[in-house]
Amino acid sequence: MSRKAATARRKAWQATRYHAAGLFISLLFVAPIAWSALVSFKPSSEAARPPLPPWPVEGFSTQSYENLAKYGVGIWTYAGNSLTVAAATVVVTVIISLLAGYGFSRFQFPLKNVLFVLIISTVMIPFQSILTPLFLILTWLGLQNTLPGIVLIYVTLHLPFSIFMMRNAFDAVPKEIEDAARVDGASVLLMLRRVMLPLVLPGVATVAIFAFLASWNEFLAALILLTDQKKYTLPVMMAAVRSGQFGTIDWGAVQSGVMLMMAPCLALFLLLQRYYIRGLTAGAVK
Amino acid sequence: MSPHDTNPRDKATIELKGVRKSFGSVDVIHNLDLKVEGGEFVVFVGPSGCGKSTLLRMIAGLEDVSNGDILIAGKDVTDLDPAKRGIAMVFQSYALYPHMSVRENLAFGLEIARTPAAEIARQVDIAAEILKIGPLLDRRPGQLSGGQRQRVAIGRAIVRKPLVFLFDEPLSNLDAELRVSMRVEIARLHRELGNTMIYVTHDQTEAMTLADRIVVLRDGRIEQVGSPRDVYENPANLFVAGFIGSPRMNIIDGVRLAGDRVRIAQSEIALGDPVPAGEGESVKLGIRPEHWIVQDRQDASLPARLEFAEYLGSTRYLHCALASGDIVTVEQRGGRDWQPGETLWLNFDRPKLKFFSASGQRVA
Repeated sequence: MSRKAATARRKAWQATRYHAAGLFISLLFVAPIAWSALVSFKPSSEAARPPLPPWPVEGFSTQSYENLAKYGVGIWTYAGNSLTVAAATVVVTVIISLLAGYGFSRFQFPLKNVLFVLIISTVMIPFQSILTPLFLILTWLGLQNTLPGIVLIYVTLHLPFSIFMMRNAFDAVPKEIEDAARVDGASVLLMLRRVMLPLVLPGVATVAIFAFLASWNEFLAALILLTDQKKYTLPVMMAAVRSGQFGTIDWGAVQSGVMLMMAPCLALFLLLQRYYIRGLTAGAVK
Repeated sequence: MSPHDTNPRDKATIELKGVRKSFGSVDVIHNLDLKVEGGEFVVFVGPSGCGKSTLLRMIAGLEDVSNGDILIAGKDVTDLDPAKRGIAMVFQSYALYPHMSVRENLAFGLEIARTPAAEIARQVDIAAEILKIGPLLDRRPGQLSGGQRQRVAIGRAIVRKPLVFLFDEPLSNLDAELRVSMRVEIARLHRELGNTMIYVTHDQTEAMTLADRIVVLRDGRIEQVGSPRDVYENPANLFVAGFIGSPRMNIIDGVRLAGDRVRIAQSEIALGDPVPAGEGESVKLGIRPEHWIVQDRQDASLPARLEFAEYLGSTRYLHCALASGDIVTVEQRGGRDWQPGETLWLNFDRPKLKFFSASGQRVA
């Protein structure tokens, strides 16, 4: 009896320690987000004061959000730009990487491996070092200071990783499934749409999340390639809010901007996380 | 030759004329000729890498033909897409669409062929009835057992009403018991549908029990074509003799002496019949395990020492070392229990003896 009780006590103690450690680590991650959320609901005057206590003592206020909404040409223009750019980047990246990944996985053509390594090797080029040529190319194409121009840049930057992901996703689908679809009479495009696409959805979700997060948060290229204030994306707008006007920084507006920028990322991740996790582990064991 | 404007009971012949397949400079199928009669059940059998699956995939149109022609029901299909050949294929890994229900899996091919919905439903119901998978129609493949999945895969082939069924090792992923019952199902299916069927396997039991004719392949060449009885009882060469039959045929090196006598395993034996070799020439003798006769005492027979015995219930396999050191397998039904190390005397059923030349060709 005593040995059983001792074992039970030891197990309970282990579980307590395990959960306490987990809770502590979770708090470390949640704390900055919670702090931002709380500050964003302080009145402007209180948000500018030292941050303790972190919660609003003068009552909850949406003043920071109202201030942010009126910033520049209006927050909704910037949010709309960001959303347009991110959504277009996701759509174009997914379509191209889906087709390219399928091609690299299933078709034999001359210099296939060389081409693949060439595409992947572009990941090693620091993006900042090619900003000037990219700027010149966009100017030459007449796309400088346009949202399609910036989408083009983002798609180019995300494609190597996305093609790599999609090729692996297609590699994990048994070839016999495709053979069965061919015997059933499916053309290549029909097979891709009705048979292969549902099977590589985890890969698509992963590519979509990465493309969305990276283009939604991207700052440097947007700052350099967009000159018209009406075309700014949220990160550029946030940098302006952060640098303040006439030496005063509205910390409440900064934190409400942080919350605003975080919301779509969080929503997308929660929506696709089931596929995303599967996508990352796909092909690990076969 | 759409699958839907043909009667499934049409007995389509399959002809391979000088068919060759090469990957780069390596030939995996060498100028192969074969005719499969309408309604016949032909089994391709051979060791791993002999080209049997490649040949099946060439017939299906999933593998390009480097040279030669393939005719199905008299029509040249060499350059046709798989779907236009009037074939249906069942794969080793089932190859079901995992994101579709069983019903959708069965209907997929018909949907692509733009078959009316009512007709699709009717065909699916017929296939489900034949294979007894009615209750499974709304499940996904992931929710089915291996045997059920294979039934669905066969059902998917049936609904297409093909002229020819192609099976690529369809039972390899199933456990032993299920394999036997599915084998019976496939035999029943052939009896009921009457289509021409080609079946690839490395399992001889499947080959022997299912086939009207067996095609034995080695290194992309046909070694022998014949009925199961024919390839078992009259193997064309040493390869077929060794490959068909389990345990395999015992091959013993011998030398013809004067008259009907041969020297095998350091003993001289009179065979009673003429030996198909010149005097002093070497000859190989093939004896099936069940054709040995075990005796307790010397009587114009070969001495052998029992190495070990395998007890299989109705039979025992005795693995014996001859005086020459060759190990032979002897099937024993009934009789006394022999202990390892004991010497027993082996004679053989002389009319069942096969002779092969030194190059491995059957000579008598």
